[in-house]
Amino acid sequence: MTLVKEAPAALGTGRSAAPAPGRRGRRRETLVGYLFMSPWLAGFLLLTAGPMIASLYYAFTSYNLFTPPQWVGLDNFTTMFQDPRWQKSVQVTLKYVVVATPLKLLLALGVALLLAQSRRGQALYRAAFYLPSLIGASVSVGFVWRALFSDDAVVDRTQKIFGLDWGGWIGNPDYVLYALVALSIWQFGAPMVIFLAGLKQVPRELYEAAEVDGAGPLRRFWNITLPMISPVLFFNVLLESIHAFQVFGSAYVVSDTRCGPADATLVYTCYLYQKGFKESQMGFASAMAWTLVIAVALVTAVLFWSQKKWVHYDDNTEAAK
Amino acid sequence: MPTNRDLDRRGLLKVTGGSLAALGLTAAGCGGGSGSGDGPVTLRYAWWGGEPRTIAIKKTIALFEKKYPKIKIKPEFTDYESFWEKFQTQASGGNPPDVFQNSVAFLRKYDKRGVLMDLKSQADAGNLNLKNFRNGVLTAGQVEDKQLGVPVGANTMSLVVDLKVFKKAGIAPKMGWTWDDYFDALQKIQDTQKIAGDTGYFSIMYLYDLYLRQNGKAFFTDTELGFTEADLTQWWNDGYKRVKSGLVADPKKIEQVKPKSGLSAGLAASEFTWDNFSIRYEGEGESDYGLAPIPTTDGKDTGQYLGSLMLSAFTGTKHPKEVAQFIDFMVHDPEVGKIMGYDRGILATTEQYDAYKPADANNKGVAAYEDEVSAAGVLGKITPHPSGADVIEAAFLRIGGEVAQGKNKPAAAAKQFFGEAKAAFAG
Repeated sequence: MTLVKEAPAALGTGRSAAPAPGRRGRRRETLVGYLFMSPWLAGFLLLTAGPMIASLYYAFTSYNLFTPPQWVGLDNFTTMFQDPRWQKSVQVTLKYVVVATPLKLLLALGVALLLAQSRRGQALYRAAFYLPSLIGASVSVGFVWRALFSDDAVVDRTQKIFGLDWGGWIGNPDYVLYALVALSIWQFGAPMVIFLAGLKQVPRELYEAAEVDGAGPLRRFWNITLPMISPVLFFNVLLESIHAFQVFGSAYVVSDTRCGPADATLVYTCYLYQKGFKESQMGFASAMAWTLVIAVALVTAVLFWSQKKWVHYDDNTEAAK
Repeated sequence: MPTNRDLDRRGLLKVTGGSLAALGLTAAGCGGGSGSGDGPVTLRYAWWGGEPRTIAIKKTIALFEKKYPKIKIKPEFTDYESFWEKFQTQASGGNPPDVFQNSVAFLRKYDKRGVLMDLKSQADAGNLNLKNFRNGVLTAGQVEDKQLGVPVGANTMSLVVDLKVFKKAGIAPKMGWTWDDYFDALQKIQDTQKIAGDTGYFSIMYLYDLYLRQNGKAFFTDTELGFTEADLTQWWNDGYKRVKSGLVADPKKIEQVKPKSGLSAGLAASEFTWDNFSIRYEGEGESDYGLAPIPTTDGKDTGQYLGSLMLSAFTGTKHPKEVAQFIDFMVHDPEVGKIMGYDRGILATTEQYDAYKPADANNKGVAAYEDEVSAAGVLGKITPHPSGADVIEAAFLRIGGEVAQGKNKPAAAAKQFFGEAKAAFAG
């Protein structure tokens, strides 16, 4: 989130450094620039940065919203790490991230490959495949999902055709998380569009040359497409895993607000929400939030470090053209 | 009004550069705007409940506004869970509703946090009549010497049964029947009707409370839990066995029909709940439903008491007198009683109780049930729950559900529950 938000700021300062007559004029222009930025700046400081700093402080306090926060040092963190429900929420979230993200990206890439070919009515298909992403995050879809995955509903009946007597997924602690995974995969539209843009950038000459050399479609995909779109893939992996860590709405609605049954959909943010707003332990909730921030930052760092090994930034393609 | 608005805006600007927590408070404070003095007064009135309750309450508000043209009521309503989340946020920002629905589980919690008005002072000032309450139900709103809530209705735990299934199985529950009788009945239902008997009794805190009371204990003392980990392990152990044997419905199925009840969905033949809730089953389900006595341990004592929904006031309200007048009207006015019926329990005051004559079978059933219970002389005294009782009730339901699903062993579950309860009391 912060990354995205900082972008316009960087852009703004860049602009204001553009040619200006004198030093005084430049300063004036900078001032005007800041003035234009002020609505965004005020919003950022008051609604994002301020509360974040406040929550950093609360993370080291015991705070029930009513009595003033009391400094407890690292207590919130030590109880948190020993809390079986916190451990459970970490486990559920990791499982969700590890299962949902790759599947979603795989589907997004697959569909993008199909849509990248020029064919009649391709624009219509693109719109149609993107559609679920527009509505997928809504509460009503959560209810629809609940209905789809209940006993004797579409999913249950379909799996019965294949002789699978699993029953509905919603009430079953062993399956319910996969209903959420399915919901996440279904919203593959955003990464798909990004993949599509990446695929369009791959120079045709490479394929032609490979074809001349006798490379089959699989070979071409593996040796040309994949390396060429690896920056886009990296971007998608990064964005989607960060999103997956923060999943809340679907878990909350699909489980009828309880993130159950038996804590089976107790994703991290859901436990955070319960601790903060149902049990009024704002200090604990803040500690949880900052732990998540650090965890996501670590994952991001690892991904960035790993890109050296597999992400292929080819600056020569531009020159080759 | 306009002057006030301007002041609020200026106030807002002033803190813009200051701390954010302070901003949150001021922003929240903007909503309460209403003039003081002789002009019209606006009170915010909040409650939780289903649609029928909201429709009825809105009618009673119209009545009140007609009688007190200078007082305007601004209604706020939602379901139970969101109600308390919203209330907590508002109250912490110093901006809770002036008057609101409350229950015994939240009295100590919000008294401790300094939110609830002691309504005795308003009663002394003659703005609120605390007389004519039936069966001593007024005590449900008292903590120590303070009157923190005024009951609008009285309710008690009951067993709601699917009348058709019970009849077909040839079971007629009687006052004083024992737990053995009850579970034998469930067995008979399972054998003859091929349906589970109960929807999951062992996760209901208020039922376990009754069981404990039958055995000389209680769920809560004034400050903590009134039973041991071993007690609870036993209770959940028995419960889990009954899930396994099919006496209690499959929790997976119960989970899926939520927010509908497993009883009205036809998954089981009985369910323990508050008697005034029993009205919902008729609307939800396809069978006929009725109330049966709570099973006993000794053949006599059900452990029951009268609980209550009540009206409480915010101690910082700008209009304590008007709030008291409003509560007085809502608990005593006969017309209000006629409109509300037994939606929030048997009407608490004699004026309202006498004014309302239940016409339908359900409401009649509720009235007859409480008559029967109070005639049996089993009603005990209610204890105001310690702070944290709401969190504990939710934990009991959740962990009990884990036991039912086989995801938590009873002993480990009891241990976890005691740990969470400890944290909740401290909160």
